Amino acid sequence: MAEPSRPGEHFSYILGIINFIAIFFVVWLLWYVFMHPDGVMKLYTPMYGFSLVVAFLSSVVMLTKVWEIYPAPPPEDSSRLTRGIILTVVAVILMLITVFAIFRGFLGTFGIAYFSPDSIVASGGTGAEPFNARENASTALIYFFTAFLWWALAWNIGFGRWPWTRDTAAVVSWSRMLAVMVLTIVTYAVLFHPHVCYLFYPPQNKAGVEPWWSSFAGTGSAYFSLGLILCTVAWIIISDLLWEGYPWKSLGRDGEGSLWKGLITVFGTLILGGITFVILLKVMNVYWMEPFEGGQYTDAPYFRYLHTGEIGGFVVLAAFILAVYFNNFPNLGSLFVRAFLRTLIAIAGGLCIYLFYYSSATTFLLGKVPGIAQPDDTPLVWTLLYLTVIMIQADFFQYWPLPRRTAQTNEVWEAKVRVAGASRL
Amino acid sequence: MDRRSFLKSMAAAGAAASVAGTAVIPKPAHAAGKIDFGQVKSVKVDVLTETSWFDNDIFKKTLMDYGGAMTNQYTIPWEWDNAGGYSALITVTGLDDKERKFLMDTGWNTEWMDYIFNEKSNVASMLKNGEIEFMMLSHWHLDHLWGIESTLKNKPDITIYAPQTHYPEDIALLREKAHHKAKDKSGKEVPICKNDVPHTGKLVECTPSGDKGDGIYRVMPGVAIRMFDVPILLRVRGENVLYFNVKDKGIVTVTGCCHPGVLSLFSYARSNFEGYKPYGCYGGLHITLFENWEPKFDDIIKGVKSFQLQKVGCNHCTGWIWAEKAAEAGVPVVKGTNKYKEYKKSSTVAKASNVFLTNGDSVTF
Repeated sequence: MAEPSRPGEHFSYILGIINFIAIFFVVWLLWYVFMHPDGVMKLYTPMYGFSLVVAFLSSVVMLTKVWEIYPAPPPEDSSRLTRGIILTVVAVILMLITVFAIFRGFLGTFGIAYFSPDSIVASGGTGAEPFNARENASTALIYFFTAFLWWALAWNIGFGRWPWTRDTAAVVSWSRMLAVMVLTIVTYAVLFHPHVCYLFYPPQNKAGVEPWWSSFAGTGSAYFSLGLILCTVAWIIISDLLWEGYPWKSLGRDGEGSLWKGLITVFGTLILGGITFVILLKVMNVYWMEPFEGGQYTDAPYFRYLHTGEIGGFVVLAAFILAVYFNNFPNLGSLFVRAFLRTLIAIAGGLCIYLFYYSSATTFLLGKVPGIAQPDDTPLVWTLLYLTVIMIQADFFQYWPLPRRTAQTNEVWEAKVRVAGASRL
Repeated sequence: MDRRSFLKSMAAAGAAASVAGTAVIPKPAHAAGKIDFGQVKSVKVDVLTETSWFDNDIFKKTLMDYGGAMTNQYTIPWEWDNAGGYSALITVTGLDDKERKFLMDTGWNTEWMDYIFNEKSNVASMLKNGEIEFMMLSHWHLDHLWGIESTLKNKPDITIYAPQTHYPEDIALLREKAHHKAKDKSGKEVPICKNDVPHTGKLVECTPSGDKGDGIYRVMPGVAIRMFDVPILLRVRGENVLYFNVKDKGIVTVTGCCHPGVLSLFSYARSNFEGYKPYGCYGGLHITLFENWEPKFDDIIKGVKSFQLQKVGCNHCTGWIWAEKAAEAGVPVVKGTNKYKEYKKSSTVAKASNVFLTNGDSVTF
């Protein structure tokens, strides 16, 4: 993740803008090669490509936020370029191992059938053919990695190294991974597994309960949970990036996390996410009127829930762009004023990205069909791909080819260590 | 930052988001008043063919091999022998007891459509003698359009109502004797569709504005077309939907694929049509078209029940498993017959439950 601002340090906004434009085209190139409907690999089916992007982002987060690079450190004397390439390759390998070896090859083959397209096809029955099977297995992965991203990021900003602050890097890395995984599995089981069990005909109702939120959410789709989690993740990232870790940071001890800091961060961001979720749903009701059960496109409750997460994704992307390519502007005034103005800029930037994504420009650039709420299109895939590339540049390449960033104050140094785990090396 | 300041900033951010959102996101148009487009005595739908492809697994494998549902339909080397098509003959009985006919969609495989128009119905002769007044193209998907030659060879100057949201390949097929090809995995170009009889008649390009700016096209008293500009699979966009106002019964929708969603169509009618009363629907309802399932499909069953439709005639992209589940849940699904078995080909997913109105069946509202 990007480091926060550096008061007093010279930052070339021209270079930042050039880098921003360059990264935009890097993302476009990646999109064309892997996702574009008229491109090379055409993985945006949509769930298959979506799952690979989320898995890749999760690999980057696992390396930087959970492991703090510990299990795969590049040579200490390596240049930023070398370091970036090594870590990117490691992240790709980790993604491939996770998706194809752990989930498909192991869990899906020997345990939970729906993680493996082959196991789904082998089970037979209505709809159990390769295309549906791959989409359904990919859907399960998307949900799992969403739960993982939430806990990995929340743990990082809230609990930090607690309760292993006095232990070695190895203990911290592996212990934190296990803690995050336990929480991820529980979250996945409660919020997403019921949906996945109902992706089949007949529903797998001995393995998963009927989606328990359907009675009040107006849909059995887990997009309800997905939207809520993504809104929460948006506030985790905004408070981390734009508010320089506050207000949660004030609860820490000596720059480290604690139980209370962690719990308050988790529940605080969850409450903020819930409030945002409700506000965005109300705003959508103003434009598209009330959704209704069984409605489709913009009338669908499940689309409204998903769209809150998609909007959250746009704002997070804008926050990253502001932090990395515009030096977290502005950097003057009190923390409150800075945080407030940055948040406003990120929201405005998110709206600009929203308008861009739904404009005719993306018909050419992304191969998207004009319009909103197509069931087989979600901006999250492009947004998350973009975020992943920015995180790779910031954390793996340490901003290369932009100048390396050096901390000017203790406060920023602490934040830098916390936010950009990679820089500890 | 203290807690108070933090909460203040949150409130400000939320308010700013709401205000900014209000300013930039366009609102959909709403009718100034309710529309009265007349009434019909009854409407009959003859299912000419609803089997757009015969083997679901072959269709999906081709789709998977060439990039999935977001891919441009003209870039996929579809399996020609697996192609059928979607088409229906609509007969409207006016309040004056006169019958008028028109065609909805023209299928995919021209050999299959010739068989349907010549051997399994008398559509070919009705086109030639002008008994069929016009054709409404629901949308520009391959299985609704690519069989256009079968219609035009009988009546090249037929008036066509179609969504304005077409691509150059669509117009080339319709009017420029196009022979489209797509590359297979080996790089070989494979013919995918052709039309040697250019359309010479009037093409009414439908938009959401309608013919009088009130959102609909009045094609007959009591019959309206509404274009919904929604993004669809395979790079297609926009769908024309038929609304019938049946005297003493209510609103009936007839659709090709119903991509906008059947309940959204009734929601539109509720908001815009004078004396709205839901009655029934016919068509592909675009739900479990790949015979898969999702929790949101259960939502549609609950929603259809809550709208209290009296007659649900479905087929094509509705999905047999949705129709079966809906019927089990109490949705008034109109059952079909076994006539489809008399056709030279039939769908591999057809079931004895006959919850589809399939080839050779009809329904009257």
